[in-house]
Amino acid sequence: MRDLLELSVSAAASGCIYALVALAYLLMIRPTGVINFAVGEWAMVGAFGGFLLLSKYEWPYALGMAAVLGFMLLVGWITERIAVRPLVERGAPLLAAILALLGMLVVFREGISLGFGPDPHQVPEPVSFEYLKLFVIGATLVVFAAVWLFFERTLWGKAFEAVALNRRAAALMGIDLRRVTVASFAGGAAAAGLAGLLVAPNTSAHYLMGVPLAIQGFTALVIGGVGRVEGALLGGLLVAFAEQLTVRYAPLPSGYAQGVPLLLLMLFLLVRPTGLLRARA
Amino acid sequence: MRSALGWVAAAVLLSAVAFFLSGYYNDVYRKLLLWIALALSYNFLFGISGQVAFSHFAFYGIGAYAVVIFLFQLGMPLPLAILAGVLVCSAIALIVAIPSTRLEGFYLALATLALAQLFIVVLNEGGAVTGGTGGLVNYRLPAIFGVYITGPWYTAVIVILVLGTYALLRHLDRSWFGRACRAVRDNPEAAAAMGVNVARTKVIAFTLTSVLAGIAGMVYAFVDNTVNPPIFGLENAFLLLFMVIIGGSGRHAGAIVGAVLLYLLPFVLSPLIGHHHALVFGALMVVVILLQPRGLIGLYDRYPRGQKAH
Repeated sequence: MRDLLELSVSAAASGCIYALVALAYLLMIRPTGVINFAVGEWAMVGAFGGFLLLSKYEWPYALGMAAVLGFMLLVGWITERIAVRPLVERGAPLLAAILALLGMLVVFREGISLGFGPDPHQVPEPVSFEYLKLFVIGATLVVFAAVWLFFERTLWGKAFEAVALNRRAAALMGIDLRRVTVASFAGGAAAAGLAGLLVAPNTSAHYLMGVPLAIQGFTALVIGGVGRVEGALLGGLLVAFAEQLTVRYAPLPSGYAQGVPLLLLMLFLLVRPTGLLRARA
Repeated sequence: MRSALGWVAAAVLLSAVAFFLSGYYNDVYRKLLLWIALALSYNFLFGISGQVAFSHFAFYGIGAYAVVIFLFQLGMPLPLAILAGVLVCSAIALIVAIPSTRLEGFYLALATLALAQLFIVVLNEGGAVTGGTGGLVNYRLPAIFGVYITGPWYTAVIVILVLGTYALLRHLDRSWFGRACRAVRDNPEAAAAMGVNVARTKVIAFTLTSVLAGIAGMVYAFVDNTVNPPIFGLENAFLLLFMVIIGGSGRHAGAIVGAVLLYLLPFVLSPLIGHHHALVFGALMVVVILLQPRGLIGLYDRYPRGQKAH
């Protein structure tokens, strides 16, 4: 019983990380339709930001975290300006932006590997180790509550939803599409960076950490459904529980847990391609 | 008849090069040819049929591992091992492609990214079957009709692979199927309205090109006579995408130009930036997409020569 409880807490904590990555995808997909595979590398940048400020310069955690999140907003903003906006303004197909972001992904990864070397770097935990998982869960819940309130209660959130439902109509109603797009990228980068910062005490900051996170987060998104913020959280938790139960009870080497998202992805695409939660009309 | 002669001449010429190259350069030449074969088939998948997939290089690895395992762990004769390898590649391709076409969008990209990642895990954890992290070594191509094909003669085999891939894809591209693929890429709704089965076209294109990558992998397995996990890493999947986009996607010539350029560029760049040439490639790809979406071939097209209006 105790064993199961521990497993649940640890799965919930990993699930929250995936949920944050899924949220990052969702923030960008909803208004723009762009799947940004670079979210995994953004998480990695967040983790290395944590290493730099918290381990190397030993800033207090809250200050370092705020600085990393602020920096991630900037990263998202710059990425959008370089790789997305010129293409949107030219009327290029969606695929062009997605491919440009793939190029950025490699630039991020190689840039970090050039700057920090190929070895993993320790990132300190915000609270003592036994409470780390609870901290991750708490922080994620706060973020999701804030995002949910933003979409439900604020005019800006309504503007996002309007753009997601119908870009042209939203533009005609006087919503600035460019601002919404750049804000969605900045927000996505911050969510991804937070995921990286929170996962780093467990996994260390490593320049190859991005791709698995990008896969797990996207699986969470597909399972939960791209229409709703709660879907990302639900999907993240489901992926993490499936992974942990596989590692625990299936007679397989633990590396095969990386196959769980692929199996879930295939299963959901076959059985329920719209995800568990449908977008509200 | 004339075109058949042309193909034979090309095969003889490209193979003859190998006989003038010393060991190291022969190795570089072989790998270059293999990259061209991969870029050509990836171009059909990505450029012509419009599917973003990251599994192409994984299928190259699946083919290589499959043929070695079938030959030396299960003791199959060569033709049977090749056939079994093709069957494995097609089965895996179908399993990934069919669910991914259920939805519009880029689900195939994610599914294939996950597949490529899982493939490396399976290689590392596969125990005696895959040889784990060390891979499989100490084998050689079995004799074919009592002859061991080695050295430049094996390079000729690779030349035949490249030309065969090119001939097949060129023929397909000009056929009904190639036009269906382009139609599905440009406008799926219109293609469906014209009677093209969109999902089936996508699945067939994906499976076919994946099998071609697998066959290239089978040929590769006897180039270094070793297969191990690091060779088939995910960064090569990105490299293939960069080759096709930078060269000019949707064009066979573009794929060839991209493959040659990006394969040879690291030799020039490594004194400057070590093994971080991927950084340059990533930046180059962003620049190409922003400035010249049709790639280097697009630049060549714009160069005024005669009047071949597009």
